Amino acid sequence: MSSASGEPKVQGRDIPNRRVVLNDISQLPSEYSTTPGGTFFSTTPGGTRIVYERNFLLQCRNSPLAKSPPANMLEIPGITSPAKPGVKENGDHSLKSVKEEKAKVSAEDAQFEMDI
Amino acid sequence: MRVVKGRTGNKAKRPHVAGVKMTDSRLKIEDDIDEDQDDTFRPAPTPGPGEHPLQFNYSIWFSRRSPKNTTYDQSLKFVASFASVEQFWSAYSHMTHPGDMMGHSDYHLFKEGIRPMWEDDANKMGGKWIIRLKKGLASRCWENLILAMLGEQFMVGEEICGAVVSVRFQDDILALWNRTASDQATTTRIRDTLKRVLHLPANTVMEYKTHTDSLKDNTSFWNTDKFI
Repeated sequence: MSSASGEPKVQGRDIPNRRVVLNDISQLPSEYSTTPGGTFFSTTPGGTRIVYERNFLLQCRNSPLAKSPPANMLEIPGITSPAKPGVKENGDHSLKSVKEEKAKVSAEDAQFEMDI
Repeated sequence: MRVVKGRTGNKAKRPHVAGVKMTDSRLKIEDDIDEDQDDTFRPAPTPGPGEHPLQFNYSIWFSRRSPKNTTYDQSLKFVASFASVEQFWSAYSHMTHPGDMMGHSDYHLFKEGIRPMWEDDANKMGGKWIIRLKKGLASRCWENLILAMLGEQFMVGEEICGAVVSVRFQDDILALWNRTASDQATTTRIRDTLKRVLHLPANTVMEYKTHTDSLKDNTSFWNTDKFI
């Protein structure tokens, strides 16, 4: 279209690639979404789907950002906070931040309205 | 038409259970939930610097059957939403693992905006794969299932709606919900990926149930279609 009207064509860019030689079938990754030699880009051709392998996700478990519970997590005894004081690990920690956040939010129940 | 109110609205009207001796510990625990908490949906925070965003935002829901939760909708509690890998771990690491949960309880991990209900617009044409687990396997299998979902390992476009782990008396049950029950290419691909990520033996019987059928017989795990 643009060339017909005399405007310069948009310059395309090559998709970056890398060649990995496999010597044996056992070197093929077991997961569909993994390329030989490790996942190259975390996006797929034709889109920008964000793909993570299990091992990578597990590594992120140790991130400092993951050490404390979300500020506004619902407090459910035995599930997100201890059933009894001192029963579950991290209990005091999560209890405190949930309580702090709780003061800020009003207890409206619009979410649970439905027609039956 | 009747409007069912959530637990905060129901507080005063909750049926009195006098005469019923609450020997079941799960009833006591359910009663401990602070009624003044906000259990309505809250969107996930935008991922900050250093966080790894997910393809989709997800919400965690919890449900537990108890005498006072007369409907499924009433028993369903929104716990937290997350938009990044780190936010996921932040919530997940501070929740009891399914294998340690008591009673008739479920975790639901669904894409933000989809309620874990058959009737939701995203679910109503859909269905779910069901995997029944012997006791003792739920925590590990649930983690493998949700990591595969969050990491977009199923490769079926927008088809995945969410995952459920249901802790029951005899066994524990995993389910993975997708949008279009009639799309056989998608359901087959999901089934094969499930077998792979959960390390299921090749001869594992896989069960599929459409939500239309669930609405008809009002059960989640009965009358399923079995595939070997």
